[in-house]
Amino acid sequence: MSWRVRVVHSTGYRYSAPVVQSFNEVRLTPRGDRRQEVVVNRVETTPATRSYRYTDYWRNVVTSFDLHAPHTELKIVGSSVVETAAAGDAVTTATWNRLRAEDVVDRYTEYLEATQIVPRHRELAAVARELRRGASPVDAVLGVANWVHEHLTYQQGRTSVRSSAVDAWQAEEGVCQDYAHLSLLLLRSMGIPARYVSGYLHTNPAGEVRETVKGESHAWIEAWTGGWWGYDPTNAIPVGHRHIWVALGRDYADVAPLKGIYSGGAASALEVDVEITRLA
Amino acid sequence: MTRAVRSPVTTSALFDGYLNPTRPHAGAYDEMFAADFGIRAAYKTLYESIAPTEISDLGARAEALGRAFVDQGITFSLSGQERPFPLDLIPRVITASEWAKLERGIVQRVRALEAFLADIYGDAQILRDGVLPRRLIASCEHFHREAFGISPPNGVRLHVSGIDLVRDEQGVFRVLEDNVRCPSGVSYVMENRRTMARVFPDLFARHRVRPVSDYAVHLLRALRASAAPNAADPTVVVLTPGVHNSAYFEHSLLARQMGVELVEGRDLFCRDNVVYLRTTEGERQIDVIYRRLDDDFLDPVHFRPDSVLGVAGLINAARSGNVVIANAVGNGVADDKLVYTYVPEIVKYYLDEKPLLPNVDTYRCWLPDERAFVLDRLDELVVKPVEGSGGYGIVFGPNASRSELATMRRRVRKNPRGWIAQPVVQLSTVPTKIGDRLAPRHVDLRPFAVNDGENVFVLPGGLTRVALPEGSLVVNSSQGGGSKDTWVLASRSSTAERELGDPGLVSSHAVDGRVTEQGPELTAAQQQQQ
Repeated sequence: MSWRVRVVHSTGYRYSAPVVQSFNEVRLTPRGDRRQEVVVNRVETTPATRSYRYTDYWRNVVTSFDLHAPHTELKIVGSSVVETAAAGDAVTTATWNRLRAEDVVDRYTEYLEATQIVPRHRELAAVARELRRGASPVDAVLGVANWVHEHLTYQQGRTSVRSSAVDAWQAEEGVCQDYAHLSLLLLRSMGIPARYVSGYLHTNPAGEVRETVKGESHAWIEAWTGGWWGYDPTNAIPVGHRHIWVALGRDYADVAPLKGIYSGGAASALEVDVEITRLA
Repeated sequence: MTRAVRSPVTTSALFDGYLNPTRPHAGAYDEMFAADFGIRAAYKTLYESIAPTEISDLGARAEALGRAFVDQGITFSLSGQERPFPLDLIPRVITASEWAKLERGIVQRVRALEAFLADIYGDAQILRDGVLPRRLIASCEHFHREAFGISPPNGVRLHVSGIDLVRDEQGVFRVLEDNVRCPSGVSYVMENRRTMARVFPDLFARHRVRPVSDYAVHLLRALRASAAPNAADPTVVVLTPGVHNSAYFEHSLLARQMGVELVEGRDLFCRDNVVYLRTTEGERQIDVIYRRLDDDFLDPVHFRPDSVLGVAGLINAARSGNVVIANAVGNGVADDKLVYTYVPEIVKYYLDEKPLLPNVDTYRCWLPDERAFVLDRLDELVVKPVEGSGGYGIVFGPNASRSELATMRRRVRKNPRGWIAQPVVQLSTVPTKIGDRLAPRHVDLRPFAVNDGENVFVLPGGLTRVALPEGSLVVNSSQGGGSKDTWVLASRSSTAERELGDPGLVSSHAVDGRVTEQGPELTAAQQQQQ
């Protein structure tokens, strides 16, 4: 039995002086797969713009728009209705030998290589080796997620959108983005292809129908152990009804929900507001 | 491949000691003289014309040549310093049959690379089929995922390519590297010819040299053909980084010859995915941008956000089909020097043909076996970075000191993907004026190909670069090289145009040539010029 969920995500900027020439790209359109079906999605901006939609290299849906009239506030609202399925089982078909096979390594090279945010790290590689010892690939994934969940304390403000996995590990604090990055670093270090998923989380596990909760913009990971499956290291739970996914990539930089350039006064981010309602 | 014609060698003072057996790289193929001192067919007439020349006369002509160049303001920046790009007196000659072969090989290569780029920025079938490893592409610095899904209206991404060729010890032309981002140098081809025609009208009278002055006509045709079909009379501009760029002269020359605007990033802007030029009469929509600006600076939305040279929103304008960027964004994946080693496979995969032009043998440091081989013989090989151009970062094993080799070894081990190695190719030599003598100097050749979507036009000629220091094999203009006028001879039977073929005025040629070559679309270009 799937959940039907409405998500309204509002974000934007306020500027200290009028802005002209603002070019933006947002990723606020959920995607469909076996676990999730997108019923409807709309992205609107204030001031109104003619937006343009395209699919990027990672197959994420991007809405781009530009503004040329002077404005001091830009508000973007992404509204979607999706149907989400219950948590599935982890895929257990691949052995460590299979994960080392030339064709697998080549096919998932982009999810195995280091990035700026998820770099290689000697000490963390040692942690990964320790977690891997004696475990099957699936147990290793769960081990990593639980280790990260234990190691980090959920705390806003200690890290920023630019923080790397290593920064979060050293700070021992972070938000969902940092939990995901640190998990990716450990998984890639042990040779398990792993990718970053951005989306939303319904904060009430009971999920009362018609009750609107203040949700959050969320991130988790997917690992390949013969097939892709998701896990949420921030909450140490499988990805299920409550998770609405939007975009995936190697790390946050590939899926940033909102980015752009403009000329004008200094910007401060508007309060991000995510309202999630289970409809059925 | 070239017939050596035995002819009585009139001993000329100019060629004193030319084929000295103790010269460096004596095994190199000399394009004028065969090993037995016979004169090769291509150069027979040229030799007969210049051999009787007095040394003093040669000096006077060289001076005239130098003056003409400085007058025209053709300079090249060498390590930050502007200096004239020296043009050598003696042209490099290629026979009609040699050229026909080269031309076929270049056209084949361009077609294969076009198919490759279309695939890589689309379904990537070649990776799915396992012909190339995905790692090869994913690790390529100029593989721009931002360019995924941009499909140009007429499918062309390589509007202009420059294929660098060298001639090995057997005289076989081999591809040294491909240049498919913003290949430069075609202005030297045209200017060298103009200058040579002024200084040596007599030599042209004795040869059937195919003209190069109509390059801009072909370029404009290709650029206009690349515009979206709905643009009935497409507007083309040349986008330059500005006057400080070392190739600014070329940008302005091409814009002038095509009769289109030369613009900088700040002259353009995007609105709702349409690109406009700011003019005194208001905004004007732009359909095709021939850009001479690197990808990284093109669009601050997708690439370097601090770049002020580009145009914000340009990539998405191209994606939505409202403007064509020529050459296309992300082409660098096709001229990566490691990808280069796979071009034979690429030709086979997309065209099901054998490559007509062989590569130079290359060892790939990222494959363990080949890396071990390279590290073993570092002192015999040339090691090159897969990125970068202009001859920077290249280490010649035989000339390197022990500590340089040790550094190199470390660098290769640290980043195997970043390096390739090749045996030292003794580039062919052509007589070159050194002091008051002619001496063999090593040359390469960069022909230019223009793809208009239906035909690939290869400019008959190309940039011959010559390494002026004795024994040097590095011909890059950024490493103190010079250039030569490159003559492609028309076959006796052909009706192709020839340089200075008209009995009338020297200058009338360029105009006539253009008129006869012009299709209907080019009439519009002429109107713009007025």
